[in-house]
Amino acid sequence: MKEIVKALTTILLFTALASAAAASDLPSKAKPSATPEMLEKGKAVYFKRCSFCHGLLGDGDGPAAYQLMPRPRDFTLGLYKFRTTQSGELPTDEDLFRTISRGIPGTAMQTFGGESGKNGLTEEQRWQVIYYIKTFFKGFTEPDSDPYKQVVKTAPKIQSSSESIEKGRKIFGEMKCWECHGESGTGNGPNAPKLKDKFRKDPILPFDLTKGWRYKAGNAADDIYMRFNTGLNGTPMPSFADSLKDEERWHLANYVVSLQKKEVLSASVLKAKFVSGDLPFTVDAPLWNSTEGIDVSLAGQVIANPRWENPSVELVGIKAVYNPTEIAFLMEWSDRFEDTLHKQELEYNVPPAYKGYLSWEDIPRKPGNFRDSIALQFPVTVSGGAKKPSFFRGDSSNPVNLWVWNADLAAQGKPGVEEAVARGFNQPLKAEAPEERQVLSKSAWKDGRWRVVMKRPLSTKDKNDIQFEKGQFIPFALNAWDGSNGEHGLIMSLSSWHYVFLETGTPAWVYIYAFMGIALTGFGEYWFILRKRKK
Amino acid sequence: MGEGKKGILPSVVKMLKEAVNRGAGRGAADPSAPAAASKKPGFFWGICISMAVIYGAVKWLIPFASRRITGMPFALPVPGTLMLFYMALAAAAMALYVTFSDERFSDFTRPVKAFFDGSYGTLPRGAALVIIPLLVGWLVYDHWSPNVLAPLSLRIQHPSSNFPKKMEDLKNPFANPEDANVNAFIEEAKSGHVEFVSQVGPDVAKWKEANPESHALGFIPSEQMVKFLSGLKSGNVSKEIAKAALMEKNLFEGRALYAMNCRPCHGDSVSGDGPMADGFKLRPINFTDNGTIETIVEGYTFWRISTGGVGLPIEATPWDSAMPAWNQSLTEDERWKIMFAEYDMAQKTPRMPEKH
Repeated sequence: MKEIVKALTTILLFTALASAAAASDLPSKAKPSATPEMLEKGKAVYFKRCSFCHGLLGDGDGPAAYQLMPRPRDFTLGLYKFRTTQSGELPTDEDLFRTISRGIPGTAMQTFGGESGKNGLTEEQRWQVIYYIKTFFKGFTEPDSDPYKQVVKTAPKIQSSSESIEKGRKIFGEMKCWECHGESGTGNGPNAPKLKDKFRKDPILPFDLTKGWRYKAGNAADDIYMRFNTGLNGTPMPSFADSLKDEERWHLANYVVSLQKKEVLSASVLKAKFVSGDLPFTVDAPLWNSTEGIDVSLAGQVIANPRWENPSVELVGIKAVYNPTEIAFLMEWSDRFEDTLHKQELEYNVPPAYKGYLSWEDIPRKPGNFRDSIALQFPVTVSGGAKKPSFFRGDSSNPVNLWVWNADLAAQGKPGVEEAVARGFNQPLKAEAPEERQVLSKSAWKDGRWRVVMKRPLSTKDKNDIQFEKGQFIPFALNAWDGSNGEHGLIMSLSSWHYVFLETGTPAWVYIYAFMGIALTGFGEYWFILRKRKK
Repeated sequence: MGEGKKGILPSVVKMLKEAVNRGAGRGAADPSAPAAASKKPGFFWGICISMAVIYGAVKWLIPFASRRITGMPFALPVPGTLMLFYMALAAAAMALYVTFSDERFSDFTRPVKAFFDGSYGTLPRGAALVIIPLLVGWLVYDHWSPNVLAPLSLRIQHPSSNFPKKMEDLKNPFANPEDANVNAFIEEAKSGHVEFVSQVGPDVAKWKEANPESHALGFIPSEQMVKFLSGLKSGNVSKEIAKAALMEKNLFEGRALYAMNCRPCHGDSVSGDGPMADGFKLRPINFTDNGTIETIVEGYTFWRISTGGVGLPIEATPWDSAMPAWNQSLTEDERWKIMFAEYDMAQKTPRMPEKH
């Protein structure tokens, strides 16, 4: 019951957040005129809040720019992705207002809407900074390129229906959207690895349409329809204003919305379900479908050098089942490409004097260089109290046990999981000898998603292994690597501690207590009525 | 069972009607009710409604009011134990009131007795006799059955057990520069060659190249800096203005270092909402929150930044903290500059150290 309530609140919270983001992106008053004073104030706002990423000259190359992917926008080019104007044209002031207010999910551009008690920018400050940003590109002053004359015409919305979604699905195929976005919309079509942007000729990945929370300019059908009308300037995403009819663009938008995963089941306790028979040891065993799991959020490894702000794996779904002798975990996460090769000689060696965040340009991020991996981490010993090893690879007195699954080993038909012990992030993982390993794995990559099952006996004789006991809260954390994103070593995503709890049946004495409660109350009632009758 | 369902509803309606009739002082509608019922028959329900109103006030009105009072975007819920306290006090007060005189007590218990006498119909009575024990049984089961909620981990936000006492009186040298530094800054500015932390070097150099006729500090658009630079031109520089301009330069460097190192978690609005924040269960601190950097002395903030999560004592759950130990990656000056910018962006001032 509590879990259902929790899940519902998560969903509600998520939709509330999404709608809040959409609500504060429209100005409440008419925009003020761009006076020289406004420009001067805008310059001050820009200096204080924008210049460290976008640069003092607006060239998208401020001190923090090197560590960001995608790079901050270069305002001197006049190329803007999110507009309501025709392909190739400049954005309206309101378009810029929307982007600044909403922020761009999945990037370092955060929301600057000031309405949530946060330290954003007031509406007036946002207008000021917009007027200032426009001074970086001369085109904004040329009457020929007035964006207000280029606003796209829109047609009335077609509400989503299974019919409309089906039409959209056909268009997705016919218009070859899948060439970049992939058959299932996960951003891994055959052209995906080759794409470049027009800003700096940086590699650019087609959007993973299933990640509902990451849509850069809104995940509603209206937003997506608008993107089809305008295209995304500076990227390979074209406008479909000429190649599709209005209603076709609506159908396509409805189809894209239908691909989104929206609910995130974040919880801190993963319940391992008890089964009396054999554990499911394939990724698609039917038992997994009837098992309840949780979604674990991950962040970039920003704690120790080399710090990494551009993680690829940000959410892993995890489920667990156990029987009297073994426990099995299923992990599922989005990963555009199946990376099953690993070139050790290309691994990044952290220079001893290196202090900052890592630039993605410093690692060879080409597909085929590094493998995909995931690691389940447990404390070696579970203390009864709250005390735990550090969630980041333990510490010198509190070691952790890691089950590291590597896609290259699995692809070669070798045992996929290496078991290791760590005593802090600053020491290399100490791998156990192959004959001591007891974790078995099965894995499959399909449609931009990895699914990995790991299985081990509940207890082992190795003193460096976690021992699973029923009815205990056993901490676990995740590390994950996306090879084609250049991730390996400490260039990874990681999660905080969560718990796995091996469900125990309700003990018999609980039923006895409940029965006694019923009996005693019933007897009390009987006595009460009897006494009254006697009166 | 189906028949039972049909029977219960009319009986309940009848019962409620009678209660309302009696409350309105129109006398008992049911002749089988005791004659005294016409006196104060709504008393029992009055007590019940009062308890419900008190519960509602504690549960919803207090959080609602707290939101208005604190001005924060979220309500402060009443903790469970406090709730229990309020309700126990309310129940005790009601009990006192009810048992004040025998007459009141019998008024209060009359509807209960009448109910069990079957005056309101035997069906509701039967239903109650079955439901009450089942409810008790369920409560017992719910209380004792294994419950899978994460263990609570209590955490002290500002531990002091291993805070080095000598750091308590530390002052941020960049938030209030000494005269010698101000004089050096004036000389530097006069020469036209101003040193910046290396991280901002390339961007500033590019700006200078694009604006060769401007002063090296000309990219800082604040009022104090503009005054300082015009004073420099006319050869008339006051110490105060120069000090204010130096602070602006320090803030610029601090903000840049913050954007490079702290922003991924603490966010560019210093609200603890950076792009990495959602991945950490122990969320990055929101500096705009009144209970954070404003309640501690500068030396403490400096210590927290320098030693990070690993430097925390056990009572502050170091194993959950993602805060790096910045003494490994940033110089002391860089850390102080970041702190200056952080307090400035959050519009907070640190607590003053106590006099010894």
